[in-house]
Amino acid sequence: MNLQRLLVERIEHRILVGTVAFLGIMVLVGWIAINENGRMQAFQRQYEARAIERGAELFTANCTTCHGANGYGGARGPALNTPYLFGHDFLAETRRERLGLETEATLATTSEERKVAISERLVALEALEAPIRQQMNAAVLKGYNPDAPSRLANLGWGGGLPNFLYTTLVHGRPTSGSYWPQAMAAWAQRAGGPLRSDQLEDLTAYIINWDKGSEWTVEDLLAVQQFPKVPADGAELAALLANAEPRIGVETPVEEIMVGLEGLSGDVQNGQTLYNGVLACSGCHMNAAVAPPTEGTWTRVNEVRLLEPQFAGYTPEMYLAESIIHPNDYIVPAYGAGLMPANFGERVTYQDLSDLIAYIASQDQPIG
Amino acid sequence: MSVLPFPSFLDDIKEKGLKRALFEGINEVVERATAGMNVQDLREALRGDAPSRKPNPRLQPHADGFWLHMRPSYFHKSVTGLYPEFRLGWLSTYFVFFETITGIFLMVWYTPSPDVAYANMLSIMANVPLGQFMRDLHRLGAEAMVLIVTLHMLRTFLTASYKKPREFTWFSGVILLALTFFLSFSGYLLPWDQLALWAVTIGASMVEAAPPEIVGTNLNLLLRGGPEIGANGLLRFYLLHVLAVPALLFIFVGVHYYKVVLHAHSLPPGEENIGEDTAKRVPLDKRVYFIPDVLTSEIMWIGITTLVLIVLVTWFFHAPLEAHANPQSTPLGTTAPWYFLWVQGALKLGDKVIWGIVFPTIVVVFLMAYPYLDVTKSRRWAHRRLQLTIAFGMAAGFTVLSYMGLPEFGVINSADSEILHELTKEPAYNHVGVLLPVPYDELAPGMYITRQFQAEPGDEASVVSAFNAEIANGAFPVEGGRTLIQYLDQGQHLPVSSLTFTTAADGTALHEAMAEFSHMMELERLELRNGWGAVIVTEWQPGLKRVDVVLSWDDVEMRGGAPVLDANGDSIPRLDANGSGIRRVNSDHIFIHENAQYFAAPGS
Repeated sequence: MNLQRLLVERIEHRILVGTVAFLGIMVLVGWIAINENGRMQAFQRQYEARAIERGAELFTANCTTCHGANGYGGARGPALNTPYLFGHDFLAETRRERLGLETEATLATTSEERKVAISERLVALEALEAPIRQQMNAAVLKGYNPDAPSRLANLGWGGGLPNFLYTTLVHGRPTSGSYWPQAMAAWAQRAGGPLRSDQLEDLTAYIINWDKGSEWTVEDLLAVQQFPKVPADGAELAALLANAEPRIGVETPVEEIMVGLEGLSGDVQNGQTLYNGVLACSGCHMNAAVAPPTEGTWTRVNEVRLLEPQFAGYTPEMYLAESIIHPNDYIVPAYGAGLMPANFGERVTYQDLSDLIAYIASQDQPIG
Repeated sequence: MSVLPFPSFLDDIKEKGLKRALFEGINEVVERATAGMNVQDLREALRGDAPSRKPNPRLQPHADGFWLHMRPSYFHKSVTGLYPEFRLGWLSTYFVFFETITGIFLMVWYTPSPDVAYANMLSIMANVPLGQFMRDLHRLGAEAMVLIVTLHMLRTFLTASYKKPREFTWFSGVILLALTFFLSFSGYLLPWDQLALWAVTIGASMVEAAPPEIVGTNLNLLLRGGPEIGANGLLRFYLLHVLAVPALLFIFVGVHYYKVVLHAHSLPPGEENIGEDTAKRVPLDKRVYFIPDVLTSEIMWIGITTLVLIVLVTWFFHAPLEAHANPQSTPLGTTAPWYFLWVQGALKLGDKVIWGIVFPTIVVVFLMAYPYLDVTKSRRWAHRRLQLTIAFGMAAGFTVLSYMGLPEFGVINSADSEILHELTKEPAYNHVGVLLPVPYDELAPGMYITRQFQAEPGDEASVVSAFNAEIANGAFPVEGGRTLIQYLDQGQHLPVSSLTFTTAADGTALHEAMAEFSHMMELERLELRNGWGAVIVTEWQPGLKRVDVVLSWDDVEMRGGAPVLDANGDSIPRLDANGSGIRRVNSDHIFIHENAQYFAAPGS
């Protein structure tokens, strides 16, 4: 047998084969070592890509309900896919020039002629900015301030954006009910939430991946549905409230509410906007998991709820008005008490309530 | 005269001259280091010459040195060839040291805590030069060691080398086999990925079945460090893997090898008279001396084996690393490590206690006791028909049981979840979901439908547009009265307002994947009656696409995991209270980043 002869019988063969084997080992290990840097970089790149994929998965499962599938925000949470979060300044160029000129104008050494030229240039800059500001108008109405374009700067956050996102994910955000209907929960396991730290890193990587750097456009800004809400100035708020339509009030008995609703006709369109937007009803009333689903409410009220003895003499409108303003007066079987915010009385006017009822009536599809 | 109180090397030079003093100095160092062989003796040995002085200096290191005192100074010629031992025992020892050395490298970069273990793995792969290389070698060595040790036992059984006086050698060998299995198994958990967690969970759940209940429960708590494997469990497995089991293994390797040397390697069965054991009495002309023949042979084998391992990890084998361990999500198709598949297969036969505990115990006890039970004298093939039948019967039995341990056998998942899994699964065991390796550029955003592949050639576009019309008319509603669009938009958070399917472009990888998808639907046409599958690719983020897979079919009557068939061999639609059919839907989605580099699965 040749193998037997080569490997076993002659000592010269053994020494030769062994030497070749050790040389082969050295060559291969050397070759691997030379390629290590490239391999490690490739692995890093691939791993970062997969972290974004996992982050996308986690975001869809956990964050979409409040921040929107595309990250444009919604009634329950601010946009994340926005130049505001990444601090992109659409007016950066003119702003830089204007700041320079304004500083120069205040210097004692600046000549009067130069000052005239500066004020002319400042007018010209304003004209340059005007169309961009005009474009951004819709965003401004939603709370964006073109002159304070960075979320982190506005918050006075000292660290980078990844740290900001990670910290927010770990601890969540306490909030007042007057800003957001619900506080952001703490997501880290160590803070009592459901996610591991590597998952929070994946989520952070995913959110950071929305960054377009210098490629952000005003369209991106306009796509945003909800900007972060910042505490308003007390005096401004008082003035707003003084001019606002009166609210129903949380204590108003349902009979009085019905008197207030008389003569009002509900606008389905506006009701839908309230339902899915500001009031965020649809956030819970969506798939019968935490609250009864929107679809079929009217029929259920008519055919099931109103047969209960305590609702004798109720109309469906009355039942719905009570359910919205006094949610804990009656809990639909199989759902938990105290889950629905009881402050809608402070938040809606009679017209709003009428619109909401009209919208709910319009959603009356047969029960599946 | 030296300034030192004893004769120095300088005195030597003065006395003998530089050259001779140097040579004698070196000679003396070599002779001390080898415990008896000087330069000339070494040279003669390596040249294959006979020793020139007496007594034979090549026996000296065995008598005086520590390292060779445990090795015999000569072997019988008949046991030094490839046959009958195939170097299997030697290779087992090789792997003990190989695994120790590569393991120490990995220990430097590893912390046994669920918080950082997986991050350590990523760091070994991404930041440690030769980190992946060492990890691959360690993993490959572990799998190879299990295989080699098992083959070593099989060989010993076949040549009847367990017979008197080597019963205890065999007995200690069975212990070593068990330790090897457990070493490999305890290392499985350490990367703390999904593969690790679930393979070990399956393995450890066997312990829980040990009767009586109080024993099983407490053994399980001891091993896992809690009801579930967590921080304590990982630490325990780590300590078992790097400390307790290796310590036991080294002790038993010592015992085992001591017995091997004591009784000498058994000769091939045909070379002895029946009932004799002549291994210790080696005639002069049959002696093969350790120095130089066996020693050079072993060094050569170290080179060859290491080279083979390095070639394998360079081109053919990489240690798997799956997603981070997640106790909340059990991956479809979870299995024990391959060498425990036979237990998993046996578990499918019935009772957990009998097949998970009693049966493996019987196997181990049977193996340990075998040489004491089989007291027949002859080692000849012809006289051992029963024993050889037992050996091959057991080998066949374990193969069948291992096959039965695979998820393919006896585990019934619904056809829709199987297909979703096949299309979207993350890389594991060198397999990857059909859609993942589609190149990022060929993953054109759009909506694709398997109906395209049921059309006659040239007719695809009209079939797809007919399907679009059906959807637009509200066909294929989802349970609960929702439309497909509502299901996707609200249920799956995929922002869509209309469904317009197009044909996948010919010749692209996406087209091939869709064809594969269509083929899977076709194979399951009985369970997924009137079924279709859709793939929706959405541009999601810069460099990131979302891929949704949607399955829709008519619910059919099922029994025991298979559709009930009518007289024509067709499945029977299930009807609701109003007598109309029930349309079912299932979906899953994945995200694919342009740099994610999913490989094409080898051999799939």
